Amino acid sequence: MKKTKIGEFEELVLMAVIVLQEEAYGVEIKRELETRLNTRLSVGSIQSALKRMEDKSYLTSELGEATPKRGGKRKRIYAATQEGERVLQEMKAIREGLWASFPRPLINLRTI
Amino acid sequence: MKELTPPKWPLLFLRFFLKPDYLEEIEGDLEEIYADLLEEVDQRRANLIYSWEVIRLLRPNLIRHFNFNHRLNNYDMAKHHFLLILRSFMRYKSTFVINLLGLTIGLSCAFLALLWVSDELNKDRFHAQDDQLYQVMQNNKDSKGIETIPNTPCMLAETLVEEHPEVIKAVPVLPPNYFFDPGVLLHEDKTIRVAEQYVGKDFFEVFSFKVLDGDAENVLQTKEEIMLSDDLAYKLFGTTEGLIGKSLEWSHEFYPGNYVITGIFEKPGSNSSMQFDLLFNFDLFFESIDYLKSWGNNEPSTYVVLEKGVDPAVYNEKLAKFLQTKIEDIENTFTAHPYSRQYLYGNYENGQEAGGRITYVRLFSIITLISLLIAAINFINLSTAQASRRMKEIGVKKVIGAGRRTLVWQYLGEALLLATFSFVLAVGITGFLLPAFNELVGKQLTFLNQFWFWGSTLGITFLTGLIAGLYPALYLSRFTPGHILKGVPNRIEGKGVARHFLVAFQFVVSILLIVSALVVYKQTQLIQSKNLGYDRANIVYFNVDEEVVEKGEALVEELKKHPNITNVTSFSHDLMGNHGGTSFMHWEGREQGEKVNFGNLEVGYDFIETLDIQIKEGRSYSKAFPTDKQSIIFNEAAIEAMGIEDPVGKKVSLWRKDREIIGVAKNFHFENLYNEIKPCFLIVYEGLNKIMIKMSPDNQQKTIAFIEDTYQAFGPQAPFEYRFLDEDYQNMYVAEQQMKVLSLSFCIIAILISCLGLFGLMAFAVERRQKEMSIRKILGAAPLSIMYLLSLDTLKVVLIAVLLAVPLSYWINNNWLNNFAYRIDLQWWFFLGAGLLTIVIAWITIGFQSLKVAMVNPAETLKRE
Repeated sequence: MKKTKIGEFEELVLMAVIVLQEEAYGVEIKRELETRLNTRLSVGSIQSALKRMEDKSYLTSELGEATPKRGGKRKRIYAATQEGERVLQEMKAIREGLWASFPRPLINLRTI
Repeated sequence: MKELTPPKWPLLFLRFFLKPDYLEEIEGDLEEIYADLLEEVDQRRANLIYSWEVIRLLRPNLIRHFNFNHRLNNYDMAKHHFLLILRSFMRYKSTFVINLLGLTIGLSCAFLALLWVSDELNKDRFHAQDDQLYQVMQNNKDSKGIETIPNTPCMLAETLVEEHPEVIKAVPVLPPNYFFDPGVLLHEDKTIRVAEQYVGKDFFEVFSFKVLDGDAENVLQTKEEIMLSDDLAYKLFGTTEGLIGKSLEWSHEFYPGNYVITGIFEKPGSNSSMQFDLLFNFDLFFESIDYLKSWGNNEPSTYVVLEKGVDPAVYNEKLAKFLQTKIEDIENTFTAHPYSRQYLYGNYENGQEAGGRITYVRLFSIITLISLLIAAINFINLSTAQASRRMKEIGVKKVIGAGRRTLVWQYLGEALLLATFSFVLAVGITGFLLPAFNELVGKQLTFLNQFWFWGSTLGITFLTGLIAGLYPALYLSRFTPGHILKGVPNRIEGKGVARHFLVAFQFVVSILLIVSALVVYKQTQLIQSKNLGYDRANIVYFNVDEEVVEKGEALVEELKKHPNITNVTSFSHDLMGNHGGTSFMHWEGREQGEKVNFGNLEVGYDFIETLDIQIKEGRSYSKAFPTDKQSIIFNEAAIEAMGIEDPVGKKVSLWRKDREIIGVAKNFHFENLYNEIKPCFLIVYEGLNKIMIKMSPDNQQKTIAFIEDTYQAFGPQAPFEYRFLDEDYQNMYVAEQQMKVLSLSFCIIAILISCLGLFGLMAFAVERRQKEMSIRKILGAAPLSIMYLLSLDTLKVVLIAVLLAVPLSYWINNNWLNNFAYRIDLQWWFFLGAGLLTIVIAWITIGFQSLKVAMVNPAETLKRE
């Protein structure tokens, strides 16, 4: 267990990267998460999470195309590594395990 | 269409702090977001969001790795510099001491001056409504121009509040010196003579004086109420608490009786120009005499609080027309002046502000700046002069690879470190001198707990260090190592033109200061010894108690019996500017609408004789002529203003009563010497409330004891307190006196610092030419010719400085003297004296140094190589 070190926000970013596939670059990730989480996020928070996970080698990246909108600067496309995917699965397993051990169903989850 | 790009500064900042590897990606991302934003919001908002995003990118794992290795190196360099600076201080002790001394003295002066100046500038600014608080002044037009006076009609305050919506509150104030003679407070067996102030009900709402006991909004509601300062209360009762409701007896010429204390206020501090210990209700004064209800009568000062946001210029236009709505046929106008400005800009000329104490504030600041500048120049001169001593150090450093910047920092650091040492010493000296300084200027200045003081003094110190260090730093770091190490002296040292220029500047300033000091001294002396048109020596006067006033003539006769008393008279005004005034005078030949303001002096018999005022025509008042009480004596200025020829025997009408002119007195000063002598008249009365006695100079203590005994025999209530007339006179010029002492001492200090610099410069020049001089000596040069050789260069510079300084100081001092109605003329010997003094000082400094070389055994200097 101790090998998996991933924060909640990092986990979300990592999942967004997988969802977005070829489109997984900074602005798109931000947009995706902003819609899903229904909140505003700063570039700093996304970038910082991306760079941290790159350091932990959950992510790889390569430079992609440049668009005029970006002032001719290239995008950096992110992709999850196997290590990254494994971490996600581990997290999911931990969560599911915990959910399964709940003594009773959560009240506010019932739709009546 | 102009393409919209992200704002420049945040972008530059981003490029500065972000890791270079991430830059392209993140900059691109931001730009994309910015482009998206522009579709939703306007550019200003987009810029704002963009900048905020940039700031939020400041995260540890995103920012550039600033090179810590580099910093470590810097630290080592700083340490190295520091060590070198300390070593150079130790090595060239005399230079160090001279620089340190100069800067320390300069800074100490600057700190003291700073405290004084800031105290002056903050006077009266503590009132909560300071920016809305105005004093209404009256512009009084007569044939000579406009005179601006603080006195206003009694109803002005009340009426302004009623009729002008801009005025929130207004209050009339009758200052403590209004009735020239203070009354006496009695409580049990204690009697205290105290000057009282009469104020309107809203006094404590207009001014922010602190009420310690009592309800600030409900004090002084009736004419029977009074308020005491805590200081006065303590003197009377020994406590300041529980006094409300107590009754006190007040013995006074006009309003004697019993009064009830309704409040205790804190005695106004030294930051207030208004000083008072006892407050009465203004109505007590206002309702006592009928003519005070006339709009043509002007007694109290009026202070108003204007609505927030009212433009005083606009309001003044409205106020200027105010008096015409109350009485017809009057040209006088009112103007509201900011109250806290009055203290520094209290003089008026022809209705316009014409400076005041601010002159001193400026004068002081300038002298201080000059002394600092001189100290800085000393540092510059000595550092550049001694460049040759440090040539090798600079050369070797440059060869090893020190850049120019490193060297600049080192030399600048030297100046700054020196300034820091001086700062510490100067703060100590300031603290040490402050009590004496306070005594001198009559203030209670402190600095230890003043945050602004530390801030600004550190700023001044840093700035001085910077000014002193910058030129030497740039100069020293300029040399090319090749020249230095090869030893091409001429290229290195140059001709020292800049240095000569600076020395000349110092001496110009010194001469200017010496001349100014002389002029200030002479001018104040003139004022103090001025022939006033009367003899003020050996005259004492005292206030006569009310009960005794009726028997005044008897007292006068009794006093005259003493052999040492030359003459005795009574009077009710004084000769320092407190006198009555009127323009209700009619004379033959007066033109329609012609208006002359006359001073009105109420005097007793023998007044003219006691003061030795000269009679030009006619005669003085005498008891031998019973009609004299209906007669009048004018001064020369009045006769001239009225244009009457052969005045004696003619009649004028004063207050609709005819009076015969029996005499004309030669002009004498009855006001401040700044003013020219105005027209005035003297009218004789009996039993006035002050008695003035001319004594012979011997045994004055005994004579005064006799006066006291005689007076006590008449059974007065209040204690006997006498004053000398010439002391009064000197008190009037206290500010001038203080300024005289201060400016003189500051000038001396500036001159001292500048000599210090010259001393250092000469010492060095002499030292460098020691060998040359020794060889000359061996070859047969006389000590005198050696001295001549050594001093020639510097003396030339000093001479040029003298030539430059003379016209400059003439011009400046002449301008200053033009402020005075009675001024000294600039004498040629002021300039000659100052010039000679400077040359002599320079010569002594130089001579002392050169003599050392001239007298030393040549073998001593030549054996070392």
